[in-house]
Amino acid sequence: MSESVISKLHTMLSSKQLSCQELTETYLSAAGRDNAALNAYVTLTPEAALASAAAVDKKIAAGESIGLLEGIPMTLKDNISTENIRTTCCSKILEDYVPIYDATVWKILKAQNAVLLGKTNMDEFAMGSSCETSYFGGAKNPHNINHVAGGSSGGVASAVGGRIAAYGLGSDTGGSIRQPAAFCGIVGLKPTYGAVSRYGLIAYASSFDQIGPITATVEDAAIVYDAISAYDAMDSTSQGRKGAPVCDSLKKDIRGMKIGIADEYLDGVREDVRKAVEQAAEVYRSLGAEIVRFRLPALQYALPVYYILACAEASSNLGRYDGIRYGYKADNYTDVNDMIKKTRSSGFGDEVKKRILLGTYVLSSGYYDAYYKKAQNLRGTIVKAFRKAFESCDVILAPTVPMTAFENGKAASDPIETYLTDICTVPVNICGLPAVSVPCGFGNDGLPIGMQLIGGSFCESTILNAAWQYEQAADQYRPAGFGVTL
Amino acid sequence: MVDKEEIMKIAILSKLFVAEDEIEQLTEDMAKIISFADTINNASEEGTEFDNINNLSNVLREDEVVPSYEREKILANAKDSDEGCFLVKNIMR
Amino acid sequence: MKYELVAGFETHVELATNTKIFCSCTTQFGGEPNTHCCPICIGLPGTLPKLNKRVVEFAIRAGLATNCEIAEISKMDRKNYCYPDLPKAYQISQYDKPLCEHGYIELSNGRKIRILRIHIEEDAGKLVHSRGSTMVDYNRGGVPLIEIVSEPDIRSAEEAREYVEKLQPIMRYIGVSDCKMQEGSMRCDVNISVRPAGSEKLGTRTEIKNMNSITFITKAMEYEFGRQVDLIESGEQVVQETLRYDDATNTTSSMRGKEDANDYRYFRDPDLVTISVPRSKVEEIAASLPELPAQKLARYTEELGLPEKDAQLLIKYRKVAEYFERAMEGTKNPKTAANFIIGQIFRTVENEAEKEAFDIRVSAESLNELIRLIDSGKIRMNIAKSTLDKMLETGQKPSELLSDSDMAGLSAEALKELCQQAVAANPKAAADYRSGKEKAIKALVGFVMKNSRGQADAALAEQTLSAMIMEN
Repeated sequence: MSESVISKLHTMLSSKQLSCQELTETYLSAAGRDNAALNAYVTLTPEAALASAAAVDKKIAAGESIGLLEGIPMTLKDNISTENIRTTCCSKILEDYVPIYDATVWKILKAQNAVLLGKTNMDEFAMGSSCETSYFGGAKNPHNINHVAGGSSGGVASAVGGRIAAYGLGSDTGGSIRQPAAFCGIVGLKPTYGAVSRYGLIAYASSFDQIGPITATVEDAAIVYDAISAYDAMDSTSQGRKGAPVCDSLKKDIRGMKIGIADEYLDGVREDVRKAVEQAAEVYRSLGAEIVRFRLPALQYALPVYYILACAEASSNLGRYDGIRYGYKADNYTDVNDMIKKTRSSGFGDEVKKRILLGTYVLSSGYYDAYYKKAQNLRGTIVKAFRKAFESCDVILAPTVPMTAFENGKAASDPIETYLTDICTVPVNICGLPAVSVPCGFGNDGLPIGMQLIGGSFCESTILNAAWQYEQAADQYRPAGFGVTL
Repeated sequence: MVDKEEIMKIAILSKLFVAEDEIEQLTEDMAKIISFADTINNASEEGTEFDNINNLSNVLREDEVVPSYEREKILANAKDSDEGCFLVKNIMR
Repeated sequence: MKYELVAGFETHVELATNTKIFCSCTTQFGGEPNTHCCPICIGLPGTLPKLNKRVVEFAIRAGLATNCEIAEISKMDRKNYCYPDLPKAYQISQYDKPLCEHGYIELSNGRKIRILRIHIEEDAGKLVHSRGSTMVDYNRGGVPLIEIVSEPDIRSAEEAREYVEKLQPIMRYIGVSDCKMQEGSMRCDVNISVRPAGSEKLGTRTEIKNMNSITFITKAMEYEFGRQVDLIESGEQVVQETLRYDDATNTTSSMRGKEDANDYRYFRDPDLVTISVPRSKVEEIAASLPELPAQKLARYTEELGLPEKDAQLLIKYRKVAEYFERAMEGTKNPKTAANFIIGQIFRTVENEAEKEAFDIRVSAESLNELIRLIDSGKIRMNIAKSTLDKMLETGQKPSELLSDSDMAGLSAEALKELCQQAVAANPKAAADYRSGKEKAIKALVGFVMKNSRGQADAALAEQTLSAMIMEN
């Protein structure tokens, strides 16, 4: 049975089975040991973690009750700003950047005495699907370290899948929470755009980026989501959670729920993955849900639309890395302009540079209408198509990725082949919809397969309810051979 | 089809240098990526007017001053600073 | 051949808000470098902008005051260019949906200078080049601006001067900016081209950037006009380029020389949401606008009967106009208050900045009190003038400076007695007057005035004297 890790640890702490300091030390020593194989963490923060743990132990000793997330050892993707703790985006250009403010999500969790073990690995500036564009080398898959953890939030997925963090926060621009969660056999929730504050999240593509939890189980994801989905005045696009906490309706009966399957999501998907998803549909049928099949032809444009728009925004968002105010600065130059260009050319990795170039290209005069504007209009078409789909179903069931985790270094050398692996995840970001990836079995290669449940705007409670019911019925979570065993 | 010259132009706008030995491979990759992006132009429809993702309006802030940060913090991450300013030494060899 | 100058203005006006456009740092002028900064206005990774409500309101005020239409739906765009004074490498501005469009400013010759648009945007930081290095201060970075873009409707440097001189008081009246050119809170870029007089076709234009004095603007325009005419007459082409004006040499020179041709790659800023302006809000703002300079000018000349030159001097600064209106309230002739202000009071106010502040020791109420004393005949003009001088010096009220006897005036009895004394003391003058030498009476009036210590009314004294002499 998949059992909430957070609830279990919370019970242990509040019943004084072990102190928060012991718990934290257990995780820290496991992280210290297993990170050599997993490369999940790029920065460990033992002092800060133990300081939080001491505060929690003091409260428990004083007989005070503690919150669900209080004292739970966790991690943050290294693009979430943490005051006084370096935040690198796994780029050379930010290698020694130490923020002077906290991201809103971290402010929220810190106030609840979350125990931050460290910051985790990612594709450079969240651009990639394997974690291998990281300046610090890729994070490995805890189910098989010869394979990647996925990306871009590969470090969080590797740490949570490898049980060297109880949970973590990642960010999802085109699948960066769900894809590594699927690869590592765990749960990843990409919330509705605007549900979780982006303040302090180092931007890749502002109209796509969203922070969300990566956890061992659906209930854990629900707990973390409830904690971080608050309206934030610092983010103009923030709306917070709409409605009651998702934990309230997590375990509801789903009889009569309409689960939609769009054929386009299954086209070109590896056979074992397609089968796993179809078996999941059977599980839903057995739970009393109704399976609705429909078509979503607008999906064919999703990938180019995503790459055009996300790169356009990225080219602008990444313009600020000029060596003057923070980050890497070239030290051999002839004038300011030369310094800026040298800084950027040697500070950014190849994938980032390619995306900046593509983004600049599609926005430049003469190309704007054919690319940016056209893609923006097609974004409207895709949004409309999903809105229509949700008239006939409550959630959409689809594979998270058309395959399982790539072998290390084998993420296709052809740029387009790599981009194609994002086919199932990007539509949700294009539309700002919520989706959760849940493990649904193992492929012929023995690696985890993930499926995603997509909901309408702010319908996190519906998709998590459906995900929880499946998780309990199918029981597909398998711990990997790393980390803390409780 | 995108050519070297065009890539160089875009690189200048992006404030990036492209080394001589990189330009061939980069142009090839960019050509692939751009022709992939071009597939949206196969769409027969013009698409739906799309404004923005959040459909919110008038999220505004009151005009009330909050104390600024200490200058020490503002400059903390700068590689070079002088007299309270961010500094770019003009010629360094 | 005769040539005509064609010019359009892009005027940047810094808004007088308390805080920056996208963060809560102060907009105060000055301050040690980088002390009015926060993670947002130095563009730290992960920060997000949040639009200042008052910036939108101020821009709408400016639009309404310049006869613009106010957009119902507007938005913010990113203008991408990389320069060290721009911390995000893009300026948040407005591209295709500015808040205000299609307005105009009317010049005194009746020509309307059309305003294409007014949009809101953020200011950049300041670069100081010193000892071969570049120093960057972001205190100004993120200060809100409006950019007022005119159509190329200006035909002479004089019209340009008037256009700027009309814009300034409008912005000050509506309270959106102090428009201090010397502090950079108002800056102008001017587009200039020339064409043969009578031609409809526009010539190739150049743009002179960032001028912060009206004198420089007119000088630069005159120089640039001459330069372009010379080029055309010698058979050369005007090159479209951006110029800088050097006031030391009174010449313009090219700012180019960089490899980068500008391509701003505008697109909607995804971090900010739609600005929607309900019509009720526009009406509310319109109703809150004060009487504008042009309306005041018309009222002062037509209703109050002031000479246009005087009216112009009074309306130029809102505080002066308000002072005038309070000082003249309930008095017999508005010219009295106007003359006091333009004459005696302005002599104590040294420069434009002081006129703008108009922080003088005599309250409008005190001046009003003084004028009422004149109106009621209690004091004479010369007493009033000397009293006002004392008021300007000491800040005291008329009632504190004038004695009872000053204010008592001169009774008819006392006047009569003085007149008798005058005739008795100057029998020759009286005789001359009687025999038809009209000017002779002046000496008698002078006697009365002198002996009444100025309290007598000269005209009344003359009347009384004349009657007295003729009767005898």
